[in-house]
Amino acid sequence: MKTTDRASEGNPIMNHQFSPAALAPRIESVGVDIEGVNLSYGSNHVLKDVNLAIRPGEFFAFLGPSGCGKTTLLRLIAGFNTAQQGEVRIGGRDISVLPPHRRDVGMVFQSYALWPHMTVRRNVAFGLEERRVPRAEIERRVDAALDLVGLKHLADRRPSQLSGGQQQRVALARTVVIEPKILLLDEPLSNLDAKLRVQMRQELLSLQRKLGLTTIFVTHDQEEANTICDRIAVMDDGRVQQVGTPQDLYDHPANLFVAGFLGTANVLDGTVQGGDGGSVFVGAGITPVALPPSVAPGAAGKLMFRPQNLIIRQDGTPPAPGHARLAGRIRHREFLGASIRYAVDVGGQLVQVDAPHQAGDALLAPDAPIILDLAADKARFLSR
Amino acid sequence: MTSLALTRDRIARVRPGPALAALLIAAFLLLFLVVPVVQVIFVAFQDKTTGAFTLVNFADFFRNDLFMRSFGNSVYVSAMSVVVASLLALPLAYLTTRFEFRGAVLIQSLGIIPLIMPPFIGAVAMQLLFGRNGSVNLLLRDHFGFSIPFMEGLNGVIFVQSIHYFPFILINLSASLKNIDRAMEESAQNLGCHGFRLFRRIVFPLAMPGYVAGASLVFIKVFDDLGTPLLLNVNDMLAPQAYLRISSIGIADPMGYVISVVLIACSLLALWVSALAMRGKDYATVQRGGGGLARRRMKPLELVAAYAVVLLILVLVLAPHIGLGLLSFATIWSFSPLPDAFTLKHYHTVFTESGQYITNTLLYASLAALLDVVIGTAIAYLVLRTKLPGRQWLDYVAMAALAVPGVVLGIGYLRSFYGVPMPFSGQPLSNFWLILVFALAIRRLPYALRACTAALQQVSSSLEEAAENLGATKLRTVGRIVVPLMSGGILAGFVTSFATAAVELSATIMLVHSQSDAPLAYGLYVYMQSAAGRGPGAALGIFAVIIVGLGTYLSHVVIERGRRERGQDH
Amino acid sequence: MLRTTRTLRNAAAALAVLLLSGATAFAQDASGKLVIVTSFPKDLTTAFQQAFQKAHPQVTVEILNRNTNAGVKYLQETASNNGVDLFWASAPDAFEVLKSAKLLQPYKPKVEGIPEKVGAYPVNDPEGMYSGFAASGYGIMWNTRYMKANDLPAPKEWADLTKPAYYDHVAISAPSRSGTTHLTIETILQGEGWEKGWRTNKEMAGNYRTITERSFGVPDGVNSGAFGVGIVIDFFALSSQASGFPVEFVYPTVTTIVPANIGVVKNAPNKAAAETFVDFLLSPKGQEVLLEPAIRRLPVNPATYEKAPAGYPNPFKDKSLGAQVNFDVEVSQARYNVVDALFDQLITFQLDDLKAATKAIQQGEAALAKKPNDKAKALLAEARDLVAAMPVTAEQAADPQLAGAFTVERKSAKDAVPERQAQVEQKWAAFAKENYAAARKKADEAMALVR
Repeated sequence: MKTTDRASEGNPIMNHQFSPAALAPRIESVGVDIEGVNLSYGSNHVLKDVNLAIRPGEFFAFLGPSGCGKTTLLRLIAGFNTAQQGEVRIGGRDISVLPPHRRDVGMVFQSYALWPHMTVRRNVAFGLEERRVPRAEIERRVDAALDLVGLKHLADRRPSQLSGGQQQRVALARTVVIEPKILLLDEPLSNLDAKLRVQMRQELLSLQRKLGLTTIFVTHDQEEANTICDRIAVMDDGRVQQVGTPQDLYDHPANLFVAGFLGTANVLDGTVQGGDGGSVFVGAGITPVALPPSVAPGAAGKLMFRPQNLIIRQDGTPPAPGHARLAGRIRHREFLGASIRYAVDVGGQLVQVDAPHQAGDALLAPDAPIILDLAADKARFLSR
Repeated sequence: MTSLALTRDRIARVRPGPALAALLIAAFLLLFLVVPVVQVIFVAFQDKTTGAFTLVNFADFFRNDLFMRSFGNSVYVSAMSVVVASLLALPLAYLTTRFEFRGAVLIQSLGIIPLIMPPFIGAVAMQLLFGRNGSVNLLLRDHFGFSIPFMEGLNGVIFVQSIHYFPFILINLSASLKNIDRAMEESAQNLGCHGFRLFRRIVFPLAMPGYVAGASLVFIKVFDDLGTPLLLNVNDMLAPQAYLRISSIGIADPMGYVISVVLIACSLLALWVSALAMRGKDYATVQRGGGGLARRRMKPLELVAAYAVVLLILVLVLAPHIGLGLLSFATIWSFSPLPDAFTLKHYHTVFTESGQYITNTLLYASLAALLDVVIGTAIAYLVLRTKLPGRQWLDYVAMAALAVPGVVLGIGYLRSFYGVPMPFSGQPLSNFWLILVFALAIRRLPYALRACTAALQQVSSSLEEAAENLGATKLRTVGRIVVPLMSGGILAGFVTSFATAAVELSATIMLVHSQSDAPLAYGLYVYMQSAAGRGPGAALGIFAVIIVGLGTYLSHVVIERGRRERGQDH
Repeated sequence: MLRTTRTLRNAAAALAVLLLSGATAFAQDASGKLVIVTSFPKDLTTAFQQAFQKAHPQVTVEILNRNTNAGVKYLQETASNNGVDLFWASAPDAFEVLKSAKLLQPYKPKVEGIPEKVGAYPVNDPEGMYSGFAASGYGIMWNTRYMKANDLPAPKEWADLTKPAYYDHVAISAPSRSGTTHLTIETILQGEGWEKGWRTNKEMAGNYRTITERSFGVPDGVNSGAFGVGIVIDFFALSSQASGFPVEFVYPTVTTIVPANIGVVKNAPNKAAAETFVDFLLSPKGQEVLLEPAIRRLPVNPATYEKAPAGYPNPFKDKSLGAQVNFDVEVSQARYNVVDALFDQLITFQLDDLKAATKAIQQGEAALAKKPNDKAKALLAEARDLVAAMPVTAEQAADPQLAGAFTVERKSAKDAVPERQAQVEQKWAAFAKENYAAARKKADEAMALVR
């Protein structure tokens, strides 16, 4: 049993803002370049030709489902894995050959990895001791780091006497106190409860901004990545699928995986046929959809659009210009509060539709026929 | 949480089952552990002439040079054995848990083998190999003109004991090392720590609880062990002094009993100190992230060095077995590096005249081990899952058996049960072979209890609650959910108890009443008392090693299979 | 399973025996289970067990192996509910202890032709509480390979073992642990007198490599070559030799041939079988078993020697064997515990100090031989006297008051409270320690003079 009472734990955090001024003057932010990295365990190819350029001072995320290779990539940067091919440069310097303890790459572990046989203070001082920093300076910097995370009053506790949020903060302090070149966060929020998670991610962001520290954040939670990261690398099956800002990725997914992983995506099977004004997408239950000229007739792929891109038409008017029309039958519905999500059978494929909801609006009944309009410029044709 | 505990509390209070089980176990412990030991302790506090209570015997003990020297020697030998055993165990544990090392499994299992040989038999073999005129020293003297005093005086005891008991440290330390969250080590590396500093500052402190547990066991076992110093003719240690005193002719001297009390007190002290050192440091349960230390591949030079170290240690550890094996095939082995010639006749002798030792041993050791796991599981369950008042005391008392030397228990049994006639035959109760089983069970109970407790701790109580929620009674829940889930730990406890009970001598020798009821260790002892009996004795010893080794291996296979079937592989 | 079948088998056997005995009402032949506590090795007991059961198939013999002292202790502890029929061991003293504790019952064997005495020692207890069945003498055993490797001459007399050449090569078992060794020590004490006997004992002890806890530890060590020379009872050496070990044995002049004995335990559950066993032991058939290579003890029936291999020691023919010392059992009995305790406190537990003093004296004397010096000679003589000095005289040792410290049972003697054993022992140990240190100092002084 933890000695700290969970209810009270929010307090010091709530009122606390990280104050980076307390920490020693910042060193210059550096970028991270990953080039042509391939890594396999035996026959298991875990990272496939990964190329990334992370800019100095950026808050960057590796986002993907479990097993996509994001943690492996992070551990590769920290030096706990070795790639068979490719190199990792930090601030332009190739670090691939350096052992972990000489990389100056701060990492916060998913389990925090606080050493139970040391007090909070000793945990935080550890990295400085290993760097043979003079005693007096160690004390000063440890105090500053604990101050930064608002835990100075718990310096003499053991990790087992701290709550999850406090442990998280100690782990953070322990890492930033050595003033690493970059900061690696391995699913740092996954062990916290939902409320604390939301709050901690804002604090992480504010700390990162103030320290100006290039930070890489590994997560499988798209909301987490979207809310705090400057840019995201979406990964799947050992490959970087797409790199971009959260909005970029949502609005312009490069492939079906990215589209499906960030938000809900409707995907329709069909064919691309040549027409008067260029290629059109032809599918069951949908009128032809005009495609950009880049898509050649006969191209294989699918049509992707978001649930909110569809407009329900019950008045019988023809579709507006530039819109395609879908006809289907409601299979079931979910009441979400602000909106209602209908699952509609369109030519044998299920399509999700979000309809805004106001008090007094009637819901459509399951099994009722439904007409939907889709603006062609909102839909994307994705070849994979 | 609280309300739930309360409900369980109330259930426990109204149900007679746990209370009845607790009472039965308490009665068993009282009858076969507390009463006999108190019988012995009692004498230590009695005035020799008047029978009144006195402490003068203890004053005599502390005023006597010999006893004080014995005391010092016992402490010295135990401490040095811990040091040497650590030197043997540390590299093995570290290499096998920390590096990708072919044969790691072999090392781990070979590490168990010393435990399954009675140390006094090991001492005979070690004397032949490492004694002043043993094989090694004869060769050294012939070729290099010097010899190494491995077996001189206290050295011999330390040497034999540390080789025999180092698995206690190896097993506990390996488990501890395996349980360390790999991120613990990686985060230290990440902060700039590596190499030996990493081991000293992070890995070893985290493995400390396991190390201390193993080391304190070694200390206690060496402190209590009788057979090895006796066979090596080292008398000025406490356990031999107690034995010599108590079993000497015509001496109604209380000093033997006083020494027994001192032995018990020292063992308790060692246990207490280790408990104190481990308080609040059960790191394994604090955090769980990754699966153990990351295994590193070794560079070629490191690999050669590692193999050299491991081989050297293995040769040392297997030396008693090698010596015993040679002896069992030897015609005459006298003042020469190797026996004069080899023969199979000793095995023939053992086959024809000593079958009953083997069958008796199998019967006694398996009964004792069965009793141990039944009681161990019951106590673990009572302590962890019920709110029975005083339940902790069952645990304490059962564990206290660890501190009772075998000789003391044997004498206590004789004193307690000789006067009690058995129904029908009128024979003394202490002659009944089942008494021997009880003695063995009591001696080994602590090991089984710890194994069962650890196993039960890993079974989430919500699994039980789920079963009860689906309509199973408490008893059926235990039978269908708890015990099957604990089976790995229970089997481990069974094996430990079985293997060590099979080679136990110190309590056995006091209690064996007739040859037809005698177990293997006693047979070994008897064989070793005559010139023509050394060969057959060694052959019987080899049998003991094989039987216990096979049993251990089989149960290991069963445990592993069970684990795989339940998908608990890593 | 196994247990059940055995029990069943036993039950069936018992039933059969019951029926049989009912049929042949009051038949003389013994039957049932015979329980024997013995200190003899398996080689001996198994041979007799098999021979006896062949002759008396109705009797099941149960052998309980204990060392002599533990066996006596066992009988004492279990006397209240005795389940043992016979006590069978070497040392007559152990039987004396049992006799005085009234744990034996008299039986006069029916076998004819056993002489009154072997050597100077009566074969049977005068009161018939126990009977001798084999004779044993004490002597010196050595490993020929060891002696050759270390260039040592074969010893003949106890005095030989005091020579510097044997330093660190000799072993003995503690008399307090081994009834046989106790007899050896007591024989030397009686043969040479209290003061001189202890001097011999201590001068030999200065050469000891180790003092073993079990009497078998000595022949075992000689056999394996752990040490070269051992002070042992004859059959250990003879049977080792017969087993093929490169060992030899000699009886010194001062030795006692004493009988190994058997006695019927009081309240023996199977008295008839016990007596049959005693008679079998003394019969020609039983006596011949003693000649087996793994046993090699001296029969008490002179006729049996005709079947012995050549060179077998025969105390009835070779009158020099054991005739030198007239062993007095009474004297031995009176100071039994005192002698043991003295040996333990002065020798066993002070062996390192004693050896250090002995080494210094031996070195001093070696140097003196090359460079004579009267003062050094006197110093060395003083040193030897210091080593030999005893804290108690023969009279004191026999004093019941002193013996009382070792034997007083609880709740028995309320009036005379002797010194506690622990106190006495501590006094002796301190005495020895001091003297050995002083002797070493003197020897070192002498060495300084003759260097």
